[in-house]
Amino acid sequence: MSAMADRGVIENSKVLMVGAGGIGCELLKTLVLTGFKHIHVIDMDTIEVSNLNRQFLFRKRHVGMSKAQVAREAVLRFRPDVEIVAHHANVKSSQFNVEYFQQFSIVLNGLDNLDARRHVNRLCLAADVPLVESGTTGYLGQVTVHVKGRTECYECQPKPAPKTYPVCTITSTPSKPVHCIVWAKDLPFLKLFGDKTLSNDLDVRTSGAETSNEQEEASFFDLQKDETSKAYAARVFDRLFGQNIEIALKNEGAWKERRKPTPLFIADIFGSEDKHEENGSENGSALENKSKDEGSALSAMTKVGLKNPQEMWSVKENAKLFLESVRLFLDKRKQEIGKLTFDKDDQLAVEFVTAAANLRAHSFGIPMQTLFDAKGIAGNIIHAIATTNAIIAGLIVLEAIKLLEKNLEACRMTYCLEHASRKLLLMPCEMDVPNPKCYVCSQTPLVLEVNTSTVTLRDVVEKIARKKLAASFPTIMQGYNVLCETGDDIDPHSAAIYEAKLDMKLDSLTPVPIVDGVEITIEDLQQDFSCSVYVKHREDFSEEEADEMRLGGLDLLTPADTQATAKTEAALKSSSAEIVDGDEDTVMIDGVSALGTKRKLEEEPQGPVQKKMKV
Amino acid sequence: MSGGIARGRLAEERKAWRKNHPHGFVARPDSGADGSMNLMIWQCILPGKVGTDWEGGFFPLAIHFSEDYPSKPPKCKFPASFFHPNVYPSGTVCLSILNEDSGWRPAITVKQILVGIQELLDAPNPADPAQTEAYQLFIQDPEEYKRRVKQQAKNYPPPV
Repeated sequence: MSAMADRGVIENSKVLMVGAGGIGCELLKTLVLTGFKHIHVIDMDTIEVSNLNRQFLFRKRHVGMSKAQVAREAVLRFRPDVEIVAHHANVKSSQFNVEYFQQFSIVLNGLDNLDARRHVNRLCLAADVPLVESGTTGYLGQVTVHVKGRTECYECQPKPAPKTYPVCTITSTPSKPVHCIVWAKDLPFLKLFGDKTLSNDLDVRTSGAETSNEQEEASFFDLQKDETSKAYAARVFDRLFGQNIEIALKNEGAWKERRKPTPLFIADIFGSEDKHEENGSENGSALENKSKDEGSALSAMTKVGLKNPQEMWSVKENAKLFLESVRLFLDKRKQEIGKLTFDKDDQLAVEFVTAAANLRAHSFGIPMQTLFDAKGIAGNIIHAIATTNAIIAGLIVLEAIKLLEKNLEACRMTYCLEHASRKLLLMPCEMDVPNPKCYVCSQTPLVLEVNTSTVTLRDVVEKIARKKLAASFPTIMQGYNVLCETGDDIDPHSAAIYEAKLDMKLDSLTPVPIVDGVEITIEDLQQDFSCSVYVKHREDFSEEEADEMRLGGLDLLTPADTQATAKTEAALKSSSAEIVDGDEDTVMIDGVSALGTKRKLEEEPQGPVQKKMKV
Repeated sequence: MSGGIARGRLAEERKAWRKNHPHGFVARPDSGADGSMNLMIWQCILPGKVGTDWEGGFFPLAIHFSEDYPSKPPKCKFPASFFHPNVYPSGTVCLSILNEDSGWRPAITVKQILVGIQELLDAPNPADPAQTEAYQLFIQDPEEYKRRVKQQAKNYPPPV
């Protein structure tokens, strides 16, 4: 193996490590002990108490501090001669552009989310820097190697999306604890504390047609005038767990093959017992708890006398917890109501969701969950295992060395298994070649140099799409926005909209103007033709170029570089980054917010867009 | 780039639809007030099947795609309060081929979805009621149910 690894290669390489968490701590340690001397670390997170069991570079006194910076200092203490640069920042921010990536020999990922992984993948492709990608969940882990043009890129294979559940199961016929937890998060939590103006598909109305009912439903979850938080909590309780179940029971067909749910009313749970007295002691404890009642430390559990989050609570205890958590939200966190979204680190939110899910589970004869387990399900938490992280970090370094020695043939993607396969827990596999259909790494884009303030969409359709690209019925798109469709089959309504766009200048199109750095897609209805075109704004066209347009390969951007194909995107980004100015930024922001999705940010070539991400 | 799988597939679906679609159906990208045409939402018109109580109605249906399409199904919505046993009060259609856990497969086309919903109109599935009103009439009072269906069809005349 690499026992003979060339020390020089290791010592002289400059390494970028993205993520200084579970894998990152292990990785940074292993890198410096292997002999790496030049390392950049990027991580936007700060240290939390829950990290300390496995992110061994951190101590309790570091809680709240930057992971990247603390990891750097911890490692420098035992390897003071190493150069480590720590960035407490989001890897998607504009400072980490293609030029930044190009300074590294290799990029090593220890990330925890898909978005950032995809982002780094694209930058590595653009900068033509090899990437070692990794991940762990519990006992499972994997390390993969990505070299532009030689192996699959991170996005050559679609990634499984997180599990969702059908609306019918969640709103009407839950059968597993997770259905109740999803319900509690998506319905009562958002209805009571979230943005009420968002339409929610989980709305269960009594009867579809009656408007009065709809209005009643809409305003039901508002706090009434002069209503105490206690009365509100009780009213909401009976509605969610009592009346709504009674209504559901009327749909008799649904229950022919299923167990009927039992409605739960406060009166049934607490009987004649005075629940006000139940909470009688709170006046005393309220004072002593007052100082702790801030932000996410606020807890309904302790107020109703529940201590152990790993203990199974009774229906009555869950009912108390529900009422108390609603009250606390109303009394102590009023200013957040209407804006809250579920966060697994928000203690009170977790308590509310646990209680609501358990009460619903009880109605439907589904096993209840402890708060600890409910939090895990609600937050999609799989408990991390330090050993897996250490193994994966070791594998990352081994692959990195092979890459730095230019020994790609020896590289493997390696899976760490939960159960041994042929007596081995590690399963190495040969690397696959790039997927020729991968939309990220295998489509060779074109570049359109154009004066975006004088050229119209019609010019692009006629002179570029039809004339240069020989499309007979061109369609032009920018992300999900259709800018132009041509053909006799277009309905008059759509045709009128398209017609109105045709004579607009590119930079005044709505909702997304076609300006420098924007990528458009040109397709043809009949031919199996589709290509990406990067737009590059230019004004100094000569008299021969009266159309003020020039379509070409990526060499338009790097005329002198013979290795243009390898460095194309990088070059594109550097050229467009130079041109970016304040106005353009504003334009892009407008476009992005009009579309309202994160995706759109990524949809654009990354150089200019990154400039916006931190705005 | 991101969402490219959904974008590419939607572009293909759009092309396939333009080349060939069932008679009387309409499907087009959603047009916004700002002049945008959004491929993530398709505005459709679905004709009631000839020879059924739904005949003569041209029912508007919006198909909402997500970034995860086609690994996840799109959401199909009639107008709110649409009268049908398998349509939620919000208008969302409850149909097995639109359910990720049962009938959905990424190969299902927009055309198949629209034809499937057209069929569902006259052949509701009493095992999976989504609204009380239509479901109860369907079960308990077929005459009144029929009357309501015909009334609804009249409320959705052919598009001009």
